[in-house]
Amino acid sequence: MSSETDTGRSISGRVSGAAGRFGGAAVDGLSTVTEPVDRALRPIANVYNRTLGGYFGEMNGLQLVLLVGSFLGLVTIPFWGNYTLVQATWLACIWGIFAMSWDIQSGYTGYISFGHSVLSGGAAYTTAMLLNNVNAELPMRITIPISVLVALIIGLAIALPSLRLSGPYFSLITFVAVLIFYRLIRPLSEYTGGETGLGGIETVFSTDPVMRTYAFMIPMLLIAAALLIVARSNIGLILVAIRENESAVEAAGINATKFKIWSFVLSSIPMGIGGVLLAHRFGTVTPGAFVVVDNSIEMIAMAVVGGMGSILGPLGGAFLVIMLEDVVLSGFESEIKWSILWLIVLLILVFARDGLFRKLWHGLDRLGGDRR
Amino acid sequence: MLESILSVLILGAMMSAIYALVAIGFTMIFGVGGVLNLAHGGLIMIGAYAFLVATSSSVVGAIAVPTVLGLVIATLVTAVASYVLYGGLVRYIEDNVVITFLSTVMVALLLTELIHHEFGSSPRTLLPIADGTLHLQGVGTRINYMYILGFVVSWIAIGLLWYYVSRTDEGRSILAVSMSERGAQLTGVDLESVKSRTWLIAGALAGLAGVFLGTLQTTSPEMWLNPLAIAFIIVVIGGIGSIKGSVVAAYLIGYLEQFTLEFLGTGYQGIFSLVVLVAVLLLKPEGLFGREFAHE
Repeated sequence: MSSETDTGRSISGRVSGAAGRFGGAAVDGLSTVTEPVDRALRPIANVYNRTLGGYFGEMNGLQLVLLVGSFLGLVTIPFWGNYTLVQATWLACIWGIFAMSWDIQSGYTGYISFGHSVLSGGAAYTTAMLLNNVNAELPMRITIPISVLVALIIGLAIALPSLRLSGPYFSLITFVAVLIFYRLIRPLSEYTGGETGLGGIETVFSTDPVMRTYAFMIPMLLIAAALLIVARSNIGLILVAIRENESAVEAAGINATKFKIWSFVLSSIPMGIGGVLLAHRFGTVTPGAFVVVDNSIEMIAMAVVGGMGSILGPLGGAFLVIMLEDVVLSGFESEIKWSILWLIVLLILVFARDGLFRKLWHGLDRLGGDRR
Repeated sequence: MLESILSVLILGAMMSAIYALVAIGFTMIFGVGGVLNLAHGGLIMIGAYAFLVATSSSVVGAIAVPTVLGLVIATLVTAVASYVLYGGLVRYIEDNVVITFLSTVMVALLLTELIHHEFGSSPRTLLPIADGTLHLQGVGTRINYMYILGFVVSWIAIGLLWYYVSRTDEGRSILAVSMSERGAQLTGVDLESVKSRTWLIAGALAGLAGVFLGTLQTTSPEMWLNPLAIAFIIVVIGGIGSIKGSVVAAYLIGYLEQFTLEFLGTGYQGIFSLVVLVAVLLLKPEGLFGREFAHE
């Protein structure tokens, strides 16, 4: 594909160049304030860098403040947040899982998938169909593993044929996978409940908001840690290399297709977990809320806002988008709310294609002054 | 049985012609710029709603133009919208394929929400340009005049496009860019203007398709998704970038859909074309007429 045109330098390049110059001056001013903070915290950050840095990536004192701060804020949210905020957090945790899972596959390899809502939808529908068609008394310890397994199988079924294709063809076929799955729901409505969906799924800890928050947050944090380890390992390196130059990866004697399929499978496991959690969050599974392609696009939007290819970026993006959706913009009518959201995402795509959280992270890196 | 086969043959030909209109613009944009324009369905929607606004006195103001003029207006409006989409957005980001097609998705969703806000979510009916149905005695089926008109307009448009692309210098420069961007540039083709023209033409075709789809199927804020899926399927089967392939694949898919509709019912509509798509992707990923022009 001849995407490299030398004519017409991009606006975004020029704009971010200008922003860079202004930013440079601002950084110099700010760093006189922030450098002492960084220096004070550097010993703690270095302890982390020596012990865990190899797994998760290194950071300076300021980045440590950001991470620890947001972690503490998140974990204590049921104690200081109001009910709207806590409710939004439940959803944000689940969407965070989706966005991170999407990221390890699409963000890292550059093979953009529109089909991830099939994975989560498949898992959610498995839970619902087991309870509705097999036995309503099935305990969660049986339905959850089966549902995640189904997500994994669907992931393999999509990945094996489609990842032999390159570039846009892959995106097209994942898009089509969503349509097939969606269109099969109606003819099979005897089992799937058609457009109205299936109910009767136990909602976890529905009486205790604190326990409920952790029921969604702990899986999210574990998945975040696991995906970060993979992403910062050599596997993540190969996935990024596939995105940047696939023929170079092949030339180095690495089977790129194998890694692409593994990344898809790897992302379908947390997608399955997220889908099950979403089913247990609402208690009903409908095609509109679980399967339609808008869901996949929303995941992509979150990843774009936070910064594709960074795991934590999409997680932050998910929280940002859900908070905008359910807390900040909840006063607007739904069309206006979504218009604003899509416009924001579009602007970020054009003017800050690396994502907001990556910008923030690198900004902190520069504010911290010299390394060591 | 024979009668229903005949009716499938006739109706399928009509529907396929409209599908071809939907797909050609999509494939041209991909062939020339390497841009996957996911807002193509949105452009089709603009066409349908522009026609609605122009011809219906009850929507915006009291202006109501004759439906034939409405078709022209809808085509022009969509062409301009497509041109603006290229000149105002895609031109600046087309160096990155992923960013480009994600941006066009966002444009499509933004359009959906705005149209939802402006016109409500319920489907609207468009005034037919040609009212009534043609009763075919021998076959025992009725054909809406709109289908016939769509068939005729589609083939006129395809004929004009063929003439433009293969007989005029301006059109041939489009073909040249889709064969080799660098080669075209070296022979003095103005890349920017070729791309702008391609988007303009694709927009006009989308506008036409929008009016016919909007009249024969539904005009609603959700109408962008199905035409887009159809364009995908047709373009992949025909071979991305190939106009001839799109027309052939449009007929393949049109007939397939009509057959499922006639013999299996509405429940399975769309599923078989998706299965054919998957089969083509696996067995012949370059499509039936893939890379009719060398392109790398």
